[in-house]
Formats: sequence, structure tokens, C-alpha cells
Amino acid sequence: MRPIHVGALALILSFAPLAFSQTKSATAPAAAQDWKALDHKWLDSERTGDLNYLEKFFADSYVLVLANGQSYTKKEWLGILKGPDRPTLQVLDPENIQVHVFGNVAILTDHTTIKGHDSKGKSMDGEFNAFRVVIKKNGAWQATGVVMNPDLSKK
Amino acid sequence: MKRAYVVALTILLVVASGAVALGQSPKKPAAAGEDVAGTVAILDHVWLDAAHNHDGETAAWLFADNFVEIHPGGFLVTKQQQVDMIANTQLGELAIQSSDIQVRYASPDVAVLTDTTTIRGKQGETNYDGQYRVMRVFAKVQGRWRAAGAGIARITTAQ
Repeated sequence: MRPIHVGALALILSFAPLAFSQTKSATAPAAAQDWKALDHKWLDSERTGDLNYLEKFFADSYVLVLANGQSYTKKEWLGILKGPDRPTLQVLDPENIQVHVFGNVAILTDHTTIKGHDSKGKSMDGEFNAFRVVIKKNGAWQATGVVMNPDLSKK
Repeated sequence: MKRAYVVALTILLVVASGAVALGQSPKKPAAAGEDVAGTVAILDHVWLDAAHNHDGETAAWLFADNFVEIHPGGFLVTKQQQVDMIANTQLGELAIQSSDIQVRYASPDVAVLTDTTTIRGKQGETNYDGQYRVMRVFAKVQGRWRAAGAGIARITTAQ
């Protein structure tokens, strides 16, 4: 299993914000999609380890690119979240969420703060700008990709 | 010159939409009646060529109005900002090459792909030398494929 890096935590954090909405399924509301709730639920689920939600919310095409360029497929990433190398995340908080909708695909950008450590105790604290892609399939929005970047303006 | 290029490109993509499947083998099944994977793989190269050639006109043609990109370092840019950067010949030349293009998702109106982009060169004070993991998103807007956005992360670890 590849080690988890700060970038991975950032990704996890990006999934966490969805938890605020407390929705059981990944199905989006029919009318106006609450993108902030979706983002929070996503990151909250990664932070808390709500793998049932993530299994549904991540499309099979899901790919995660961490801030160091390391990439993970859905299977690989969920495997990490289920396994002994799972990071501990105290904070996975997206802010300044902006959405760009193009029909059946939407790009969310946010500023994600991560506080936590990997399975070996190494700090994963950081500030990241995230590029998140969600697609609409069978009426439900699913995550299909994330690219994390360190926010150098915070250095 | 650039206008002619855009026209030629449009024709090429129309043809490619229906015919690329005959000569290529995209890694994802095509949507019914259209080789989405083949089309966006071509657009991926068009995108990089425009960036390399300071071809702002082609970039403006390719990018959707609501286009967004996150550069390494976390800087967000809009369509206009990205087009202006591409068109700015005062910035230095960059050698840009993509490889390992993988179509991660393809539907009749959406495509998401990743590639590994190698950049050599400096622009202003920024040294771009290195390899990057790039996620590019394409969407069909009013019947034409457009670049919707991109996220770029510098590769700093052995893969």
C-alpha cells in the first residue's frame, strides 16, 4: 500500500463537507443543487470514514490526484480509507466553494483546510485549493475526480 | 492564419467525432454515434498546442465561457485570464508535451481525462520545468465540445 501524504489528506478533506447535509444517498435534490452541502458531505464522509456513502458517491471513474501528483483510483483510495494506513483527520473543511456547471458535469473549486496526521503520525496539516469534478448519472451527482494543490498564497 | 487553423480544427473535430473510432482505440467505450474519447484526446493536444504557440484565438475557441483552471500553487484562473496568459508573447516559451492520456469518463456530453504533462521552460520568474498530473474536463456546450476546466498538480514523488 502506498503511503498517504498530505495531498491525500487534502483530498479526504475535500470529501468531508458533505457531512453537513446528512443525506444518506448521493442523489442530488431535483431542483437547485446545494453544491456547498454536497462538498461538505463529501469531505465529512472522508473525515469520518463514511465508506458506504463514498462507495455510492464516487463514480467508478473516480480518480484522486494529490498535491504531490500521486494519483489513486476509486478502488485504491477507498482501500486506503478502509485500511490500516487510513489517516486521522481532525479538520477537513472546505471554504469559498465555487461551482461551474456545464449540463451534466460540474466543477467545484474550494479552499480546503486539513488538520491531521497519517498512520505514522506525520502531520498532514495544510491549506489547499481543490479542483473537484462531479458528473450527473441517472439523475444523481457523483464525484469523478479531484486535483489538490497546495495554496502557496498561504505560505 | 490562426482563424484558418480554427476553421480547419473545427472540420477536423467534426470528422473526428464520427471517424476517429475507425483508426484509434480509445481506452473507454464511445458514446453511441460518436467517438467521444477520440475527440477529446485530439482536443487535449489542441489545448497544449495553443498554449505552446501563444495561440489565444484557438484557446478562446476551445474554452467554455465558464472555464476554470487551477494552476500548480493553487492559483485559480478564469477563461479570460488563461487566454491572456496563453496569448502573451512577452512570456517565455514553454515546451509542453503530454503523455499517458487516459479518458476516465466519457458520455455523450461529458468527458474527463487525465494526462502527464511535461513542461520545460520559464515564464517570467516562474520556472515550470517538471512533470505535472493534469485532469481536463470537456463538456458539450450548444452542440460543440469545449474545455470546461483543468486541475494541475506538480509531480513531486516517484509514481
